[in-house]
This record gives sequence, C-alpha cells and structure tokens, in this order.
Amino acid sequence: MVALPAQAVDAAPPDDYSGKPLRPVTAAYTLEAGSSQLVNTYLTPLRYNGIEAAFRYERMQAMRFNPEKWVMRLTASIKIDRTENPAKNAEMWRANAEATWGMTHRWKLPYNITLAAGGSVGANIGAIYNQRNGNNPVAVEAALTLNITGYATWKTHIGRLPLTLRYQPIVPLTGIFFSPDYGELFYEIYLGNDKGLIHGAWWGNYFRMENLLTADLHLGATALRIGMAQDLLSTKVNNITTELVSWRAIVGISGEWLSIKPGKGLDKNARIISALY
Amino acid sequence: MNIGKTASYILSAVLALSACACHTIEEWDDNPRGNFEALWTILDEHYCFFAEKGIDWNEVHNTYSAKISNNMTSTELFYVCADMLNELRDGHTNLSSSFNTSYYRKWWSDYPDDYSERLIEQYYLNFNFLSTSGIDYAILPQNIGYMRYSSFANPVGESNLDQILFYLSTCDGLIIDIRNNGGGALTNVETLVARFITERSLAGYISHKTGPGHNDFSKPFPFYYEPAAKGRIMWGKPVAILAGRGTFSAANNFVSIMQYIPNVKIVGTTTGGGSGMPFSSELPNGWSVRFSACSILDPRGQTTEFGIEPSEGCRIGLDPHAAINGHDTILDFAIGMLTGI
Repeated sequence: MVALPAQAVDAAPPDDYSGKPLRPVTAAYTLEAGSSQLVNTYLTPLRYNGIEAAFRYERMQAMRFNPEKWVMRLTASIKIDRTENPAKNAEMWRANAEATWGMTHRWKLPYNITLAAGGSVGANIGAIYNQRNGNNPVAVEAALTLNITGYATWKTHIGRLPLTLRYQPIVPLTGIFFSPDYGELFYEIYLGNDKGLIHGAWWGNYFRMENLLTADLHLGATALRIGMAQDLLSTKVNNITTELVSWRAIVGISGEWLSIKPGKGLDKNARIISALY
Repeated sequence: MNIGKTASYILSAVLALSACACHTIEEWDDNPRGNFEALWTILDEHYCFFAEKGIDWNEVHNTYSAKISNNMTSTELFYVCADMLNELRDGHTNLSSSFNTSYYRKWWSDYPDDYSERLIEQYYLNFNFLSTSGIDYAILPQNIGYMRYSSFANPVGESNLDQILFYLSTCDGLIIDIRNNGGGALTNVETLVARFITERSLAGYISHKTGPGHNDFSKPFPFYYEPAAKGRIMWGKPVAILAGRGTFSAANNFVSIMQYIPNVKIVGTTTGGGSGMPFSSELPNGWSVRFSACSILDPRGQTTEFGIEPSEGCRIGLDPHAAINGHDTILDFAIGMLTGI
C-alpha cells in the first residue's frame, strides 16, 4: 500500500498514456462528538437531551468500469447517545450501528468543483434503552433502506496547504424498518407474535437525513479531516413516534491509498483518478 | 455554472427535506396543569381495562381537573394525581415521585389476610426446611411435599427445580404455596409450569393496545408453553396450589394456567388478579407512572384481572382462631385433600 500526497493526484498524465488508470482508495477514520435530542414515544413522551459520540469509517474509490464518472462509497459507523429527561432524573441511551454502500455519478465543474449524485443501500440496527422503564425498557431499531445521496467537493488551498471541502447528504428514499405495535411488549414478540413488525418506509413514516460537511487538510500523505455531521430521524408508525436530532463535530484522518504489486513501483505516467475530485 | 445558484438550490433542497422531518408529538408544560394533563393523557391512550372496569375516564378528568391549580404544591399535585389513578382500581398502577409512590391497596386490604409465614414455619415445618432459588421446601409428616414460592421475581433455576422435585419425589402429593406472592417475571411462571405439563400446552392469550383509542386492541394472540427439556425432573402426582387475595400479577397468571392442568387443584380464596402487563411512562416533572397496558387472558380466553376462583369445592379461608392454635386451615385442607382424608 502506498499513501498518495495530494500533489500526486494533481499530476496530469501525458495525453498519449494508455495504461490502466490508478484508482486510489480514499479512506477516512473519524471520531465524532456533539449533542443530541431524542424521543421515542414507546418509551416516553418526553424529549431527552444529551450527547452523542460516533466512530465512522469511510471508503471511497472510483469505479473500475468508468472511473471518471462513477464513484463507490462504503461507510460503517457506530453511534452512542446518552441523554437525560427534562427533569434530569432519568437517562436514555441509544446505540446504533450502520453500514451503507453506494455509487454516485459525478460531474467535474469549473473552479475545481465536483458534483455527484447517486444511490446507496443501507442497513442499520440499534436500540434505545430507557433505564427507568420496567416492561418496556427498550425500543429496537432496525432498517434496510435505499438511499439517495450525492456530494459536492471543492478542491482549493489555504495558502500552500491543499484543502478539500465536501458536503454530502444521504436520505433514505424507501425500504423496510422494524417497529413493535403501539402497546406491544417485547415479551409478546418473544412469545412468538411476529405480525406487523416490519413496515415499508416512505417519507411520510420514515424520514432520515444525514448531512456531512468535511474539510480534508492535506498534510502530506495523509489529511486531517475536520467537519460537522447532522442526523435527522423522524419516524411514525403504529402511533409510535421517534425523533432524533444530533449535531457532531468531526475529527479524524483521511488519505488516498494505492495497492501496488511487490517489486513494481508507481508508474509515473499512470492516470490517477481520485474518488473525491 | 453559477456556483452561488447551485449552492442555494442544494440548501433549499436540504431545508425542504428537513421540514419533512417533523412528526408532531404532544407536549405539556412542566407545571401542575401540564403534569396533570400529561398523566391523564398517558393513561387515556395506553391503559387497557377501561371497558372491563366500566370507567368513564373523561368523567374522571372532569372530577380531578377541577382540583388542579398552578399554585398548588408538588405534594398536593401528587395526591390529586394518585387519587385519580386509584379510580382505576388497579394494583399495577403507580405514580412515583422523589418523595412517594402511590399504590392502590384496596385490591388486597379490603380482604382478610390468608397467609402467615410464622404459622407455617413454626407449626408445620418446625423451622426446619430447605431453601433454594427463592423456594422454601420440605416434606410434611403426612408425606406431602411443600413448596413455598414467595415471589416470582426470584429467578427459578432449572437445576434448583430438579433438586427440589427430586427431594420431594417420594411424596404422595405436592403443595405449592403462593399466597401473598405478588408476582414477578412471567418467564419464571413458564419455567415452573413446564414441570407439570407433558406436551405443548396453551398457556393463555395476550392482547395489546394498537392505538390510543379505548377499544384499540389486537386480536388475542395465543401463546404456548413447552414441557421442561428431556432429562429434567417432572411432576405428575396430585398438586394443590394455595392461593389467595395476595396472589397477584405473575402469581395470578401461574394460577390461571395451572387451574386447567389435570391433577391440579386451586385451594384457598379468590386471587388478587392483576392480569395487565404494566408499561412505564413519565411526566414532565420527572415523576414516573406505571400502569396496565397489555391484557393477558387465561387459556380459555377469560380475563383474570379481577382474580381467579378456587377449584370447585376448594374455597377455604384462613380461620384466625385456628391460626392462634397453630392451624393453617387452608394448608390443612390441602393436606387432607392430597392424602384422601
């Protein structure tokens, strides 16, 4: 594996170069922390406020079949929320794991701007736990979704420091998600009543959106990634409403990586097609 | 392309999508009126026995709403709210604050106490009995096994049950004393029942609220219990279950299943009921509320919220005069029944 400095990706290949383009993987590991507001009416009618922390792995790469136009993005994240009720005498925790895989078509615009739009599939599973409840302490969350997504990047500089700014939203369009019935205990599900637990998702009953704003400060072979993330979740099914609004600051590292066969160096004339720009 | 224009399109789209992210949730102010309305509404939308008990909850609102003032103290508010909850006549309904937990006691306090622990331990067990898994057990002089299970909140281990039933296996009959057993976990009911059934058996029905309306209920869902796993010690000889008004909730549920098993008799008085599985919720001021939200019916589809009658010919109370002389008339009746006297 070779890490590419941002300048290497800038290098333009000779016009007559006919070799296979190189498609570095843009990988990022980030830690995120911020505030969250959470309510799930199966557990409580009150809005809880607190903090959210997350770890995210992101991998992007130009697609083999048309690397100039198509980009793959894979993400995996874990989020933990710790919130308190308004009276601050009860806690509610949320843990959620999510993975998405998708492809976007991109358009390179003037001023080093790239726009992309596409779709992804996502899966998430988790639970909200209210520590004061007896027979209804947990609301399980699970969903499989088809998402629309895209991004806008701007490759620029701060002084001599290369910088890549990105805004990326992701919104589930449809899918399926889990919810118990209005007053159904998980004990009843344990007893075998599995009817009506899976619901088709549309924006009327399941709206989720993640807004991601990142800045990659290219410090040689790796980049410092900073940014902001916002999650919006609002579901209503079986008269149970769940809402989550969270904001997180992001800090992490990112870099572009190439796999090179042992004994072979990097072809200086190779076209290098970045995933982000 | 005009970058500013593109950015404004994106921003507009984001804001439009964000606007979709709103499902309304009813909210209340954290003052006496707001907390009262929150409590009334939570019960209005989730409580499961309005129809069975003939409660006009709107009328209850009118009665107690008139007693609410935003100038009242927390203690005053608590007692008005507790009185309102007592209208439900439900031992599973509590309001909990930092200074008190309300509890409707009349489901048992209006009835005689049918159990004396001291009486049993002194005059029948001679203070000599074994204990495991929250179950006290011994062999009575009449060669009848005796098990005292005081709370279904005590986890019952399969190996512990094997030990108990093996120890009692030479007895001619078994008495399970669950008087004043206020309930606990239904999984412990299942573990115990599994020792008395030989095939997959209908254990009851469960029906939950499907919406906030008073008549929004799911079709009762039948649930079954399996016999204990092969190799476990089972019990097939006659059984007498001692129950009374203090037999409540999960213990009441245990009786509701056992009453239909051959060779099993329910001895004592009508049980305390409590067949609603409780849900929890809370008020803006941080008080928590627990209430019956999910009805469990017996294997014949009958409600047991108001208690279960003893088996035919097995109704008997604890005679306090006999108790003074060291006799538990309910236990004596069960021993006589099992020994054929």
